[in-house]
Amino acid sequence: MVDGKNQLLFKDKPIKILLAKPGIDGHDRGILVLAKAFRDAGMEVLYAGLLPTPEEVVDTAVNEDVDVIALSLLNGAHMTVFRKVAQIMESRNIDDISLVGGGTIPDEDKPELEKMKITGNYGPGTPLSVIIDHVTMRAIEARERKLR
Amino acid sequence: MEGANDNLRKELLAKLYQYGGHSQVVGITGPPGIGKSTLIGNMSSLIIKSGKKVAILAIDASSPYTGGSLLGNRIRMQDQLWENKIYMRSLANRGSKGGLADSALGSVIILDSAGYDYIIIETVGSGQADLDIMNLADTTVLVLAPGLGDQIQAIKAGIMEIADIFVMNKMDREGAYFAMKDIEDTLSLDENKEFRREVIGSTITKSESYLELINAIGRHREFLDRAGQMGKKRLDFALRWVLEDELKEKLIDPIIAKIHSNPKNASLKENIYQEVDFIIDSLDIRGLLKKI
Repeated sequence: MVDGKNQLLFKDKPIKILLAKPGIDGHDRGILVLAKAFRDAGMEVLYAGLLPTPEEVVDTAVNEDVDVIALSLLNGAHMTVFRKVAQIMESRNIDDISLVGGGTIPDEDKPELEKMKITGNYGPGTPLSVIIDHVTMRAIEARERKLR
Repeated sequence: MEGANDNLRKELLAKLYQYGGHSQVVGITGPPGIGKSTLIGNMSSLIIKSGKKVAILAIDASSPYTGGSLLGNRIRMQDQLWENKIYMRSLANRGSKGGLADSALGSVIILDSAGYDYIIIETVGSGQADLDIMNLADTTVLVLAPGLGDQIQAIKAGIMEIADIFVMNKMDREGAYFAMKDIEDTLSLDENKEFRREVIGSTITKSESYLELINAIGRHREFLDRAGQMGKKRLDFALRWVLEDELKEKLIDPIIAKIHSNPKNASLKENIYQEVDFIIDSLDIRGLLKKI
């Protein structure tokens, strides 16, 4: 949307995204930068705060009917915790919410995360526009499944 | 939301509306950063512990530049939400003015039909004139804190008039008792003898203070029941909302299309009032009203 254009003209439902750091990780500088970037990209942004459990993240996403859950961890527990989130989603048959990941994720972990349909997995230094484009793409997928 | 989706929405809401009417809708309003979300979190967990059901709708502002929104209400209350399994939904106001979102009424109808005892609505951090909540809520609670102004502020028109219950939050702050007294002085001049509006002092350091607020909300409910006012405002609001929606779709939009289709109206600068008057007269609104 063009800057300064009255949002009353924006008829579509904006993308709704939940940001979460499900794990023992209090370094939220990065995720707050992302929250503002997503807001400025015209999305409706929720942040789950510090130290939520994977169950709480999924519950929140369902209650709020988000399009995307963006998971971030900098503590190296992503293979355990991201997997847990993906498993809970699968066990509840939730297929209309996309998962994306990010943080300090080594390249060798990425294929396995992709297999769990956790995509993106961007690290430090990634331009914000790349992340926003990826999230938008995943949100469109989720939205299409919601409207199916 | 157009076409088939829109019709489905109307049909669903109309059906659900019949199952509602039991919930007390409590509107929590007040300036940004005053502690509305924290207060709602604490209050809801006490309500749950007393065996009642509660759902929360929290509205935050959308950006006028990008349409984006940071829905930050949840983060203030989510420990209580998770602990007590409370349903809460964040809404962005998407440009609607007055402190609510366009989808607020629909959301209330759905939650009401689901059988909640209380539906708590948190408005956008509001100014003096964001008064829409009074049309939707059975009970309007205005949250204030010390240091916002003197007695003159307390007798101003607008938001001070529409509140049924006042909360002086952050009672641990300096000047809290004086601020509370300013409001009490004003309320003592209220003309309504049926329901005495009161000021509740609350602070996060004393959870009993939230119980007092819940009791005050209960007293207002008793008054509404006695006066037969429960849910009445919402019925009017729903009626107005549906009527405006239908009029826009069935009357205003076709008229505008019609005006545009006439080539002599290519430039309406001169005669816009005349043209509209002419259309209204030829519609014979008075005759129509007699028929209803």
